[in-house]
Amino acid sequence: MAKYIVKRVVMAIITILVVACVTFVLMMSVPGSPFNDEKITPEQRAMMEEKYGLDDPLPAQMMRYLGGIITRGDFGVSLKMQKDRPVLDIITEKFPLSASIGVVALCWAICLGIPLGCLAAYNRGKWIDSLLRVICTLGVSMPGFVVATFLLMLFCNDGGPFKFLGINVIFNPTEDGWLAYLMPCLALGLYPMCYIARLTRSSMLDALGQDYIKTARAKGLMTPKIIFKHALRNAVIPVITYLGPLTAFTLVGGFVVETVYTIPGLGRYLVQSVQNRDYFIIMGTTIFLATLVVIMNLVVDILYRVVDPRIDLTKGE
Amino acid sequence: MEQTVQNEKTGKLLEVKDLRVSFFTPAGEVKAVSGISYDLDYDEVMGIVGESGSGKSQEAYSIMGLLQSPGKVIGGSITFEGRDVLSFGKNEMAAFRGSEVAMIFQNPMTCLNPVYTVGNQLIEALRAHDKKISKAAAAKRAMEMLELVGINNVQKRMKQYPHEFSGGMRQRVMIAMGLICHPKLLIADEPTTALDVTIQAQILELMKSLQKKTHMGIIFITHNLGVVAEICDKVSVMYAGKIVEQGPVDDIFYKPGHPYTVGLLRSMPRVDAESYERLIPIEGTPVDMLNPPEGCPFAPRCEHAMKICLQKMPPYVELGGNHRSACWLRVQEQLEREKAAGTAPEAGAAPAAENEQEEVTGRE
Amino acid sequence: MAEKKKKAVLGSLQPNVDPLLELNSLTAADFAPASSDEKEDFIQQRKSVSYWADAWRRLRKNVVAMVALGVIVLLVLFAFVGPLLVPYTNTGFNQGAENLYPWHYSLEAQRAYAEATAAQDPDEAVEAARAEAEANGEEFTSKDAALIRAQIRAGGSEKYEGMTEAQIYKELGYSLQPFGYSLDELERIEAGEKVFPHIFGTDRYGRDILVRTMIATRVSMIIGLAAALIVLIIGSIYGSISGFFGGTVDVVMQRIVDVIYSLPDVLIILLISTAMSPHVTQFITDHQGNPLAEFFKTVGPNLIGMFIAFACLYWVGLSRIIRGQILTLKKQEYVTAARALGASSGRIIKRHLLPNCIGQIVATTCLQIPSAIFTESFMSFLGVGVLAPMTSLGSMCSDALGGINTYPYRLIIPAIIISVMILAFNLFGDGLRDALDPRLKK
Repeated sequence: MAKYIVKRVVMAIITILVVACVTFVLMMSVPGSPFNDEKITPEQRAMMEEKYGLDDPLPAQMMRYLGGIITRGDFGVSLKMQKDRPVLDIITEKFPLSASIGVVALCWAICLGIPLGCLAAYNRGKWIDSLLRVICTLGVSMPGFVVATFLLMLFCNDGGPFKFLGINVIFNPTEDGWLAYLMPCLALGLYPMCYIARLTRSSMLDALGQDYIKTARAKGLMTPKIIFKHALRNAVIPVITYLGPLTAFTLVGGFVVETVYTIPGLGRYLVQSVQNRDYFIIMGTTIFLATLVVIMNLVVDILYRVVDPRIDLTKGE
Repeated sequence: MEQTVQNEKTGKLLEVKDLRVSFFTPAGEVKAVSGISYDLDYDEVMGIVGESGSGKSQEAYSIMGLLQSPGKVIGGSITFEGRDVLSFGKNEMAAFRGSEVAMIFQNPMTCLNPVYTVGNQLIEALRAHDKKISKAAAAKRAMEMLELVGINNVQKRMKQYPHEFSGGMRQRVMIAMGLICHPKLLIADEPTTALDVTIQAQILELMKSLQKKTHMGIIFITHNLGVVAEICDKVSVMYAGKIVEQGPVDDIFYKPGHPYTVGLLRSMPRVDAESYERLIPIEGTPVDMLNPPEGCPFAPRCEHAMKICLQKMPPYVELGGNHRSACWLRVQEQLEREKAAGTAPEAGAAPAAENEQEEVTGRE
Repeated sequence: MAEKKKKAVLGSLQPNVDPLLELNSLTAADFAPASSDEKEDFIQQRKSVSYWADAWRRLRKNVVAMVALGVIVLLVLFAFVGPLLVPYTNTGFNQGAENLYPWHYSLEAQRAYAEATAAQDPDEAVEAARAEAEANGEEFTSKDAALIRAQIRAGGSEKYEGMTEAQIYKELGYSLQPFGYSLDELERIEAGEKVFPHIFGTDRYGRDILVRTMIATRVSMIIGLAAALIVLIIGSIYGSISGFFGGTVDVVMQRIVDVIYSLPDVLIILLISTAMSPHVTQFITDHQGNPLAEFFKTVGPNLIGMFIAFACLYWVGLSRIIRGQILTLKKQEYVTAARALGASSGRIIKRHLLPNCIGQIVATTCLQIPSAIFTESFMSFLGVGVLAPMTSLGSMCSDALGGINTYPYRLIIPAIIISVMILAFNLFGDGLRDALDPRLKK
């Protein structure tokens, strides 16, 4: 087990380094100076570039940048959006809000998705299965912005059926209380919920077709026990492996949701900095989010091996 | 009711009559089992032999109520100790399975749930039928069963997961699980097919000795005649959903009455075979069960096939001593013998035969 | 009778046994050996069908997939044939036809409305009277004005006060007509001219939303197809090389796949297309007249960046599937046989391995299309995808977000179309996967 974890951690570190290098090279290769749009003289621009070390050769810049991240957690400073403010500072300010919405969305997605998937699998071929399949396929086919804006129409438009809740169009937790989180969490969780339900359904059907279910039936167990003890435990294993990509999806889905509802989170900030080409923020945030996803994948991989006893933990692979 | 009385009188453990199982697939009805009958005494081991697809497993599943959709029992009856199994409700069936009839399956590698310990699964089988038993007592009983099937170090083994067991060991666990509630009947669906030859012998030996100890009835489903010779008292040979020959094990081996049985015997390697003897495979492939032919299903592969074989399914012919076979060759022999004896068949032959049929059933 | 006893027949074991019992009616001819031809005829062989015919048969039986296919065909017609039938362009500003709803009131209704509301407005009446007086050279005093106002107030037209436009029309007895026309266009129709309606209305620049939706759907479809093609090519090459050669090559290639797999793809696409689009812009300005640069210019730098990102990331899933398939197939005897006959690796991949995993390749590629459309709309919505003058369903939704209360149709129409499009591709892809999977063969 230890050997496996070490191996996976090393892989994760390499992945993060690769991301950091690629991000840096991509951003720095962009032709022209980030200050081109600003109305400044060439001398001023040269001064600016010297100040941020942009005139050094690229490898030196990269070493300095990566070194800064590793030794001091220094992701550089904002060039335009909030001039000279450290990127790390911005991330720590903006991320908690994004994270809390994401976690709530994921929780309801998992808590509803798995039972719905089981329900569909158990009633395979009946109308409830067909209904759930239509809803879930629709759910994974609607882009996040469609869901988010339709919710806006339901909750905030004149004549919307939930207008009476009085939720502000613009995210405003001080005025709306927890209701402010309703739309973002619903919008963010719908896709994962539907995806999990589909995944659970298919893995549940797979599990129900296995020989050990036949054994359990031959033993004389009752149906609920067969489903919840023997099939479900096996069926959730693929769902666990999906948690890694799911985290990534939720982070990215947050971009749209935060943009639509004007939530001052990290996702919206990243989108704004992309539009403004504030390179250090883009780099810093990308590396931060990628690291998060890689760590999540690592955790899921290890978790998966804990849940599934078939995998021999004493061996490396 | 009549049947119940008969059962009590004759003391049969299991009686299957004219059982029919069909699979309703989108392509049409597949008659997996089309009218088979047999019975089994207490303390008797019966082999059901046939190639894959001959319906032998489906027939066993219908006894256990394990037929999966789209499979359905569409006719006939299954009587277990005088009770009609097919009329059982959901809960009755669950109580019946495992406690009175146990089943072990072909592939021990996939038949144990990989995410639970062996002990957990054994105890569960016991507690499903004996709700009052304490956990400790159930664990003790599970360990006894494991010891009984020849597993050492049971304390440790109980806490292990199925993947930590070898194939033979898992089949032993399956047997222990099947026998933990003292069933009266054990259905073994090709229990040795997926195992190595040496392990096969061990498992067979184990089943034989357990049968002697517990006196349970066993239905042994296999395609391997060697296994049958080893363990069974009587044999039913199945082909394309029908029993083509049925009889005591010695009769089947030494006086086979159906060309298919002969084919099976010839394709089986024998220790006492002369070196120049070749194994002779049965030519051709089984019939398409979706469109079963009118006549004898084995006819196209049969070297003795006659015109009549292609037109009509042969009736059963008694060959003496509970040995019967469904083949036109035997009918022909019999007719010739009758002619030779000078007793030309009369017009009343058919009703007579029917009368005797009842007589035969009664005698069984 | 002893003879007969032997002949006993277990009637209950046999269905329709009665005719069979008449054994005495059998003749010697019945017991003649059957010829092998007769045996052949005996078995009704089912027709053997080719893999594709069989897959097509299964696909056709799948109602959901066939409906999805129908929707896709309709969408293709909508996107590619539609713009030819509509006389508007996606960039053309229709002067005087700004902010049209996808419905209108008839000219008559609008005039009645104008009258009703004009009478209601005292200021306008005063202005009209003043203009009339001045034109006649008379003096218009404030007393006259007050008189007019009083008249209007007494005139009973205040019954329209405080009512919305729709309510007034209803009061006047006019109902909505489908499709959007501007006042100018309605007048032209009255004059006998033929004017094509704005079926989905227009946006704030007077651009026809129907045409814009058609063009945007076309853009989405092309992006989906192109991305799927890129994924197909890169994924199958990478996967087959990795699976076929195995060993160290495979290990290294799979580590690369692992790295890419654990990255949040949309984030990286965002990054790559952000970084690549200035390069593409520079390429376009540096190589004026170069056909490639012209092509890039029409497609737009952001889209090229997106394609590069697709090419870098999206093939991973497909390559894994193909690698897995090839690893299984590699062990099959016929590959060994081909190798023994001296076939080269390339030939074995092409002739033996790929045809065997073609089903999965087709299905996975097909499911790539909705995924790419999804990502493109996402990026365009955030304003980093398709750029003006090109249009995209995502950017149309994003533009409509500001007027969501007044002009909800501008959001609803593209949102529904993109959802239906992705849904149809997803359902069809699922059906295709089921149909092409030989394991599900019945």
